[in-house]
Amino acid sequence: MSSASSNLIASAELISQGAEAKVYKAQIHSDTVPILVKHRFRKGYRHPTLDASLTRSRVAGEARALLKCLRAGVNVPGIRMVDATEGILGIEWIEGTCVRKLLPGAEAETELSDADTAPFTGVDALMGLIGTEIAKMHLADIIHGDLTTSNMILESSQSLRLVLIDFGLSYHSGLVEDKAVDLYVLERAFASTHPDSEPMFSSVLKAYEVRMGKHWTSVSKRLDDVRLRGRKRSMVG
Amino acid sequence: MPARTSRPTPLQRPDRPYLALGLEGSANKLGAGIIKHAKDGSSTVLSNIRHTYITPPGEGFQPRDTALHHRKWIMDVIKDALQKAGVSIHDLDCICYTKGPGMGAPLQSVALVARTLSQLYGKPLVGVNHCVGHIEMGREITGAQNPVVLYVSGGNTQIIAYSRQCYRIFGETLDIAVGNCLDRFARVINLSNDPSPGYNIEQEAKKGKRLVPLPYTTKGMDVSLSGILTSTEAYTQDKRFRLDGAESDSEDVVTPADLCFSLQETIFSMLVEITERAMAHIGSKEVLIVGGVGCNERLQEMMGIMAKERGGQVFATDERFCIDNGIMIAQAGLLAFRMGHCTDLADSTCTQRFRTDQVHVAWRA
Repeated sequence: MSSASSNLIASAELISQGAEAKVYKAQIHSDTVPILVKHRFRKGYRHPTLDASLTRSRVAGEARALLKCLRAGVNVPGIRMVDATEGILGIEWIEGTCVRKLLPGAEAETELSDADTAPFTGVDALMGLIGTEIAKMHLADIIHGDLTTSNMILESSQSLRLVLIDFGLSYHSGLVEDKAVDLYVLERAFASTHPDSEPMFSSVLKAYEVRMGKHWTSVSKRLDDVRLRGRKRSMVG
Repeated sequence: MPARTSRPTPLQRPDRPYLALGLEGSANKLGAGIIKHAKDGSSTVLSNIRHTYITPPGEGFQPRDTALHHRKWIMDVIKDALQKAGVSIHDLDCICYTKGPGMGAPLQSVALVARTLSQLYGKPLVGVNHCVGHIEMGREITGAQNPVVLYVSGGNTQIIAYSRQCYRIFGETLDIAVGNCLDRFARVINLSNDPSPGYNIEQEAKKGKRLVPLPYTTKGMDVSLSGILTSTEAYTQDKRFRLDGAESDSEDVVTPADLCFSLQETIFSMLVEITERAMAHIGSKEVLIVGGVGCNERLQEMMGIMAKERGGQVFATDERFCIDNGIMIAQAGLLAFRMGHCTDLADSTCTQRFRTDQVHVAWRA
């Protein structure tokens, strides 16, 4: 494969490998700001046909969701380039700290420097930002699909700005069910990564409630249903 | 959750050898096993006997008939286990039984035997969570230290990781379990239940060539499987479907083998994907597969490729320990017993709903 996209990858710096993709810091022109390139590489375990169609639809879907979020004023990275067949998506580079590292419970593998925590004013304020951002996204009928604290970045600029990232599993839906499941995924992620996180998650919901306004009641009711669903599962075997 | 904890293990080396009998009968497998924990900290499987209730093709196992099967065979199975181990029931330190989760009637018939033996011989009882039994046996056999656990069986589909004396569930199925999905499809195409429907699906899938489009339903770290089953079933009503599996050069046909192949490829891709996501999320490089579906070699192969791509390692066991067995109940029960945990007669109930994360894992740091 020798396309413009693969040349870009070849000259880029690998930052991390997530479950889905390899993430690079790349430069389209030498004198411009860097962009973040997400390459969904081929998964060897998956049947090639299945892999190709999943990759294509996920890259396209991610780009589509980001565009919709941008139009609705949700804080997400801007789109810089899309190559669905190669599995490549280039987005705006966001400078900041992953929310997971800002909260207690995540392993203290990297000591945060003062610069990293500078705009960090408190857990409560941060939870408020998370709730508001998710509500803005849900009001635009975008479902994130993989809300975890690893997929949120607190920007290290002067103003307090929370950016949602990784829309790889997102889709468009106006259903209360999907929004409730989205919140439930986050609740579970909180519970499994940050011990004793109940008060934190309830502040997220409070901010979410405020922003959602009249749509809150139905989502809240459904969220209670969804929670029961997980617990009630009978486990035979 | 770092890969290795530096805290010392709360489990002391035994001051003398310990022996435990484990009784399992939460589904159609009836098992009895005897495990020995020696003074040097090692464990030995002295015996592991199983008797499976097999129904005719096209039928599943009903709770009532399964309980009758267990009742009929349990004395033979226990005697066999004791004899093979070469120990007397008087030598045992405790009797462990499956408290749940599982089917009510079979669980009860086995728990009743456990209670009776405990009263007759004055041995303490230990009620064990079935899922924790699987995890502990998998760890013991493979030597995996702190793996992400994929637990896949007829009734369970969970991604589990250990944290702070609890096996936390990171992802699970939102509707039916993966084994249930495969077994039910085996019934639709009339595959034999001997030795197990899942095994026969696996053999059939090896002949499949064509990947038919099926829904791909991961939701975060959870999966949903019931819709995939329905879609696969729908192909059997398609006019291209040939039950006899006859291929044709002139016609576009779908065979049962193709459907088994497509079902496996799709479902296993989803399972490997959510496992990979859990590994990335908690930063672990080890993955352990337990439960009946864990015997499936294609699933093990796919998991192996994924682990290798991440620079990790996959641990799996064979059918002796993957499929429900008594020894895993003995292992988990004896660990709890050595930490001073016993189940009083009055509390020796069973429950159909007993989540993996409800157990206090006292024996790990």
